[in-house]
Amino acid sequence: MTAKLLDVENLTMRFGGLLAIDDLSFSAAKDQITSIIGPNGAGKTTVFNCLTGFYKATAGSMFLNKENERLNLKKFSDFKVAQKAGVARTFQNIRLFPQMSVLENLMVAQHNKLMDASGFTILGLFNAPSFINKEKEAIEISKYWLDIIGLTHRADDDAGDLPYGDQRKLEIVRAMCINPYLLCLDEPAAGLNAKESAELNKLLLFIKKEKKTGILLIEHDMSVVMEISDHVVVLNYGKKIFQGSAKETKNSPAVIEAYLGTED
Amino acid sequence: MKKNFLVSSIKDSLFTGLIALALFGPIVGLRTVAKNEVLVVNPKWFIVLIIVIVCALGRFLTNLYFYNRDQKYGIQSTIGKSITNFLDTKGTQIALSAIIFSIIFPFLPFTDRYLMDIAIMMLTYIMLGWGLNIVIGLAGLLDLGYVAFYAVGAYSYALFAIHFGWSFWICLPIAGIFAAMFGVLLGFPVLRLRGDYLAIVTLAFGEMIRILLLNWYQLTKGPDGLTGIPRPSFFGLPFKSFPEEGEQTFHTFFGLEYSPMQRIIFLYYLILVLALITNLFTIKIRRLPIGRAWEALREDEIACKSLGVNPRNTKLTAFAIGAMFGGFAGSFFATRQAFISPESFTFIESAIIVAIVVLGGMGSQTGVVLATVFLIGLIEVFRDFESYRMIAFGGAMVLIMIFRPRGILATRKPTITLQKKEATK
Repeated sequence: MTAKLLDVENLTMRFGGLLAIDDLSFSAAKDQITSIIGPNGAGKTTVFNCLTGFYKATAGSMFLNKENERLNLKKFSDFKVAQKAGVARTFQNIRLFPQMSVLENLMVAQHNKLMDASGFTILGLFNAPSFINKEKEAIEISKYWLDIIGLTHRADDDAGDLPYGDQRKLEIVRAMCINPYLLCLDEPAAGLNAKESAELNKLLLFIKKEKKTGILLIEHDMSVVMEISDHVVVLNYGKKIFQGSAKETKNSPAVIEAYLGTED
Repeated sequence: MKKNFLVSSIKDSLFTGLIALALFGPIVGLRTVAKNEVLVVNPKWFIVLIIVIVCALGRFLTNLYFYNRDQKYGIQSTIGKSITNFLDTKGTQIALSAIIFSIIFPFLPFTDRYLMDIAIMMLTYIMLGWGLNIVIGLAGLLDLGYVAFYAVGAYSYALFAIHFGWSFWICLPIAGIFAAMFGVLLGFPVLRLRGDYLAIVTLAFGEMIRILLLNWYQLTKGPDGLTGIPRPSFFGLPFKSFPEEGEQTFHTFFGLEYSPMQRIIFLYYLILVLALITNLFTIKIRRLPIGRAWEALREDEIACKSLGVNPRNTKLTAFAIGAMFGGFAGSFFATRQAFISPESFTFIESAIIVAIVVLGGMGSQTGVVLATVFLIGLIEVFRDFESYRMIAFGGAMVLIMIFRPRGILATRKPTITLQKKEATK
């Protein structure tokens, strides 16, 4: 049994009268890919928004277990989840910085580290060697990730000019540039063709294996989910209706019912 | 197709003529004249006819040349492209020659007092444009109250210089700090606002500062303004025609004949240096993490948050630094005029600075210079035709928006590149 990286306990999110997430508990392991699936409107993205601080959960707790500390993600508000806790995310509709170059996108992801090195800009203004070195390091990290997704030759082009599939991959490696413990991917395979989603699988498996980053995945594309998930959590109407391995999920009557309805 | 287009163009231009008639008929055609203490209508239908014909014909021609579907990208984009290409390839040379030109400008044979005054005014606007470019162009925060920081800078300079007798070089940074503080003051309440809403609040802020200056009589002397603001000295050497007994002045120290131009030239170089500092600072800071965070914030605030970029600090620094340069420009304005009153800091000033930044191409430093020379130059050229100035101003804006809808220089260069490095390997 691998150590649990994320423990979500009794998470509840209420928007006025609407109960979007109802007493949800699940956990995700450190070097595993945990998929959250469910029909549209099941509350999957809301779970992400709670985890990454975009929403304040109504009740429950979310613990991130690092090597020697246990952080309650509920205590961090929006940007601090990424900055202090090391939880990165991507978005359902790609959110790159379209008019900035590919390399700049990755450099912004390393903002906090570079900001410290630039002595809150003052050292940076005078080209302090410590800052220059840190910047070079950041460029190397960016280059490393660009090599992995095969976009090094387009590093200086505007991110908005990339083909759709490349934008998806860029958004994922941009999230990886903050060096996260947990990576939350919101439908990364949406709109990708078969070849591109195979490449995506490869990238995610690489991140899981080499970087030991826990991956939380929301996905509708079952070819992606079934092939790479170690663990699947199924949501319907904000409630967890099933969890287990990919194979178990495929054969679960509760899941089939949620997706296809019952026979009358 | 072709025939259809011609027919619809004619229809369209006739319609334009009709609108022109409805507009200019009453305004131009029916002129009232006082005759024997009675108002009589003195119709001028001939002029109206000419105006209507000009409008209709002009519309017809623009239809043919700009909106002709057969040549999808008409002349506007060809001209635009050649301008962009020219400026892209020759950008550095142009910038360098512009700097050299501005350095030797005061000593050129045709330079007189009038030209120097215009040049100083232009440089002030360029500096303000560069300062506002940080807020609007880089951080994407549409600030319509920028003149407030200009005013804060001018007033804090004037008050410190008058009451404490401190020299320009001490008051300048103080004025900058004061303006930056006001920038943060404005920044806090508007942190959550974007776009139109932000524009409204900043506009109100600009007016608030002006009204405050107008009404706080004990401190600002209200509408009377502040007089007797000390003139700048050349590192302790004042510019005076008749020095007091034993006093060193600029011309006696250098053994020159006194001329009022000496002070003007000094002021010119002062604002040139201040503006260039603003420019260098912006160019440099754009390549630092904070500058990239500004631009990222302009592009997508939610993505910024997901990457751990603190939007509050990032926005506040943009407001503060932009305001600081506004404050520097304000102190220069105060020391040049030796008299300031709230009248100098009306909304129209903000509007002109925003126009300069937007027309120049958001975020483009060279664009700000071009737009300033164009707009302020135009206003000056038309100074003799007082009533036509604003028409020329508006017309120029329309032309720029037709030919370069995203500003004169809209191309953005990445702040950091990978390929160049590889090439040098």
